[in-house]
Amino acid sequence: MTTITLAVLAVALSAVAGGFAYFLPAAATALQETGVPAVVPSPSPLATLFSPSPSASPSPVSQQGAFTVLLLGSDDDSKFSADHVLTQSMILVRVLPATKEVVMLSIPRDLYVHLSTGGSGKIDGAYSYGSAGAAIATVEQDFGVRVDDYIWVGLLGLIKVIDAIGGIDVVTSNPVMDDYYPSDIYGNSPYDYQRVAVLAGPQHLDGIHAMEYVRSRHSDLQSDYGRSKRQQQVLQAIRAKAKQLAPSDVPALATAIGGELKTSIGLDKVARLVPLAASFDNPDAIHQVLLLPPYARSGAPGGSLTPNWGLILPLVHQYFP
Amino acid sequence: MIAKFLLGVGLAIVMAVTGVSSYVYLGSRQSKVAAPPQKPTAATPRAQALTLPGTIYLAQAGALYSFSAGRFHQLTPEVGWTQPALYPDGSHLLVVKRSGFYSDVYVLTPYGGVVAQLTNNAASPRNAWDTGANAWSFYPRLSPDQRTLWMSYDGPKYAGAGYFDVDMAVWAVPLGAPIRNGRAWTVANNYTGGDIQPIVVPGGIIYTKYVYDQNGNRTGQLWFTNRAGSAGRALTSTDASCAQPSLSPDGGSLAMICTYQKQVSNLTIASWNGSSLGGLRTVVSDQLVAQPTWSPDGSGIAYLAPGGPAAPFQLWFLPKNAYNPPAPPPVPTPSPSPGGPHNGPLPSPTPTPAPVAPVVKPIQVTFNLGFDATSPLAWLG
Repeated sequence: MTTITLAVLAVALSAVAGGFAYFLPAAATALQETGVPAVVPSPSPLATLFSPSPSASPSPVSQQGAFTVLLLGSDDDSKFSADHVLTQSMILVRVLPATKEVVMLSIPRDLYVHLSTGGSGKIDGAYSYGSAGAAIATVEQDFGVRVDDYIWVGLLGLIKVIDAIGGIDVVTSNPVMDDYYPSDIYGNSPYDYQRVAVLAGPQHLDGIHAMEYVRSRHSDLQSDYGRSKRQQQVLQAIRAKAKQLAPSDVPALATAIGGELKTSIGLDKVARLVPLAASFDNPDAIHQVLLLPPYARSGAPGGSLTPNWGLILPLVHQYFP
Repeated sequence: MIAKFLLGVGLAIVMAVTGVSSYVYLGSRQSKVAAPPQKPTAATPRAQALTLPGTIYLAQAGALYSFSAGRFHQLTPEVGWTQPALYPDGSHLLVVKRSGFYSDVYVLTPYGGVVAQLTNNAASPRNAWDTGANAWSFYPRLSPDQRTLWMSYDGPKYAGAGYFDVDMAVWAVPLGAPIRNGRAWTVANNYTGGDIQPIVVPGGIIYTKYVYDQNGNRTGQLWFTNRAGSAGRALTSTDASCAQPSLSPDGGSLAMICTYQKQVSNLTIASWNGSSLGGLRTVVSDQLVAQPTWSPDGSGIAYLAPGGPAAPFQLWFLPKNAYNPPAPPPVPTPSPSPGGPHNGPLPSPTPTPAPVAPVVKPIQVTFNLGFDATSPLAWLG
């Protein structure tokens, strides 16, 4: 009897081992790239200047379980050293599980702010001076919000993510044409240019073409604002496609994006977020916020944008208490 | 002793098989979302639920395919072919061949043989260093007399290197003539992407113009013009955000997509009297519709739309009854019974419930093929 029990246990164990082997690459990647803490320096005195007004706080019920993630998208080509890249895209995401709402606030990359590492400059430089911790601290001190976690992805990472999920469906609002789009990912020189023409209308985009759509800004009167709008569209399309994934897809996905993504979100939280993300199925409950003029205006040093904090902070605190 | 050894070996084999099976099973449970689309020719022959009349030309992954009698035929290799359009007499195809930096319009036989190259948009060798010296040609169409090529074209650019605005205008070029003999018919709005998708209608052209609305959002509008150098007049509002016009075979209706500036794309129909558009009528609103194209025999509208949530685009067909249902039978009217004058009140007819028109839904024609949704369909009757 003992022998039979042991044999059955051994067979069961071998089945588990097979499953373990299947998920091993994903686990290795996940362990390497999730739960990467951001060292956030002590807040500067500015943080107190911009503390949110209590009257602006939304109802406590909707805030139950809510959290804020800072999405960082970077150039990571050979123009930069790995730890000193600019963040071309910074999006604050507030997730409200109680009401199944999401707020996405795009921060203009050229916004001229006080950097957490000292001095002032474009906010896209914060990451290059002190990695995710500095980017988070800069956003926290200038916008008066608390960032719970961050996700950083490089150019190649976004391409790989989208290809790994089989592409995304997007309705492009107009032809996105650019004669001087950086050819820095697969080209010989990171300073080369290429032509881009992402045609208008509904279409299925692979990683490369989705990247062209969200990265091009030359042929847009709204420049970085227009680009932010497209980035939010693509993020929503990725979310829509990710809902079709099965747990068995995780190893292939992890292999595809290995090394191209970093996040402070731990594995345990990822496991809780996946079903949560799937339950957000009302497109009208996803609020997109752009800091268009008069929230920011051109004219600051080096072609950067001057923030109008008097307008920005009430708006931000309305959504990010 | 031997029995124990054999038992151990057997158990080891069972364990190995179980472990491998577990691994293989999990692998087989992957979703198909990342699976690449099949080539259309790999999907045929197959039992088709629907055989569409005539031949449809469409593009996938840079190759041109024809679809007739439920079978696909690959006409060109996968080297950037897209956006087929028929000669009015059906004898040839205009097709765009797209490269990394430019695209050109070619004439192809219905079997994919190259007859002629109509544009030459690659930068000249002396300008090869300047990416902006190249040009795009898209959405070719031929005039009914087959003597004028209409297309969207982003050249010439007089501003030189470093000029960032790239907009297409609708051009008319004598067939076979160089672009210098052509003429821009529309004036594109700056930094919008420009004017695209011209279709030739009696008395002028209808095209999609991109504009900034009062909120600063870029959006598409259908416009009509009958004069070179004139934008003409808008047929649809900026709020409706319509594009991809297609004229019905009888010339009395336009099909189009309207997105209402959201991540939706409705199949929309409106009447067309040669100068103005009737009210917009949404006939498909739960799909991401692209490239609506009328059947030459008027039996319905083909279009591309995802085969499932967030999936690649497939060929769909909407039968005419879905958007133009047959007239209901006449309501019975009381009639005096035969046999002379009737003094009392007329008998009311037996109330018969009005027949409920069956709901006609779009039919999915292909599965897992993934067509190029930026490429119009060409349908030969």
